[in-house]
Amino acid sequence: MMQTYDVHTLPSNDNVNAYAFSIELAGRWFVSKGAMIAYYGNVNFDGVAAWASRDGFIASRFSSPIYIQDWVVAEGQGKVIVADRGFDVQSFDLEAGNLTLRANNLLGFETGLELKQSIVPGFVTLIGTGKFLASSNGPVIFVEPPFRADPEALLGWADCPSPSHHYDAQWMSASLGAMLQGMFGRESGEERQFDFTGEGTILMQSSETLREDPALMRLIESQTSLLSTQQAGILGQRLVARAQQQ
Amino acid sequence: MAFEEVNSKVVRAHVSPATPVLARRGAMLGYDGQVTFRPVAGQGGGVGGFVGAALSGESNPMMATEGTGSVLYGFRGLHVTVVQLDGSGSLTCEADRLLAHDANLQTGVEFIGQGGIRAAVRGAMTGQGLFTTKVSGAGAVALLSHGGTYAIPVDGGGVAVDPQAYVGHVGNIQVDLSAKVGWRDAVGRGSGEAFQLKMSGQGTVYIQASEQKF
Repeated sequence: MMQTYDVHTLPSNDNVNAYAFSIELAGRWFVSKGAMIAYYGNVNFDGVAAWASRDGFIASRFSSPIYIQDWVVAEGQGKVIVADRGFDVQSFDLEAGNLTLRANNLLGFETGLELKQSIVPGFVTLIGTGKFLASSNGPVIFVEPPFRADPEALLGWADCPSPSHHYDAQWMSASLGAMLQGMFGRESGEERQFDFTGEGTILMQSSETLREDPALMRLIESQTSLLSTQQAGILGQRLVARAQQQ
Repeated sequence: MAFEEVNSKVVRAHVSPATPVLARRGAMLGYDGQVTFRPVAGQGGGVGGFVGAALSGESNPMMATEGTGSVLYGFRGLHVTVVQLDGSGSLTCEADRLLAHDANLQTGVEFIGQGGIRAAVRGAMTGQGLFTTKVSGAGAVALLSHGGTYAIPVDGGGVAVDPQAYVGHVGNIQVDLSAKVGWRDAVGRGSGEAFQLKMSGQGTVYIQASEQKF
């Protein structure tokens, strides 16, 4: 028997099923562009960029210029259903805490939370108290440090220090040797891990394939301002060469 | 040693010096303990095995996981099913469905072209070619599928399987292509259901709940 929902029976601030979440909107939420699949009520969706120019509160909450184009402010009264590619959607409550999450997997958060850009590329940090929604391929797996994670399968981490890179020495020498013999490519996925130590929780998902992150380009572009004009020219030539190879 | 199912898409393996694991390269999601990953050539069996696998197109980039610790494996968000082999029968499947298996299991490439033109057509339809991977011994195998794997017992004759949904089989099973092949299907204008794999014998056939290939 298929469950049918109407205005009154639709869950409020709860999952509709494993893959969709119904936000009870009374005020404002930040919602990732493209995550909204349906809504009812009197709701306006406006780009964060447009909001930030007229509301200082929003600008202070949403503190990440490279992601600003990918987010909207949902304002009004009603219910907003969000989903992401059939991935599992989960809500989490943060209480005076901080949590770092892969930017692509963050679907929405209450304006009580503050969004900052993590020092780890592709990740954002939420600070404060409030609810947020995250998507993951398969249910989230919680792990405690010490733990080493495939960077792509990593969903995020809470309350523990930012990870460091770990390169497997044996793997490095094996693949270097193999490269000399021309037998293996460099693409293994396992030579580099994120190494977590200390107290906290690591969130993992069941896949190491990612959705394209449009903000990554903007991030790299902004960081190449560290290069000198000459270095930037060399980088440009290398990128052109790489693009022509494919 | 067995794989512990964390969720429908992830398994955890407890690795020790006595129980290394062979896994698809890139399938490691995370680990704790002292664990190292070493690339291995093809389907094992040394140089000969590698050459054979390379020739057949059944070479799957694999790595050995060694040391002491627990490792999470998953691949592209595909569903994972653990098949326990007791040593009496071997598992036949496509190489790219192997996520991980106990390193003490033997893998080999099997030529399935003996059946003449029918087997050849079957191979072409399943994307397997004329070769398939055979896993034998006692131990656990983690298989990948799209949409989840379902086990169907084969007892005597008559289980028909969509070639795209076929994952693998265990036991003494003969596989044949059902013969509703006309020129219409050959040029790709049929219903898409004209090709079926006919399984007969004794054993278990594994199918996935999707026709999507990966």
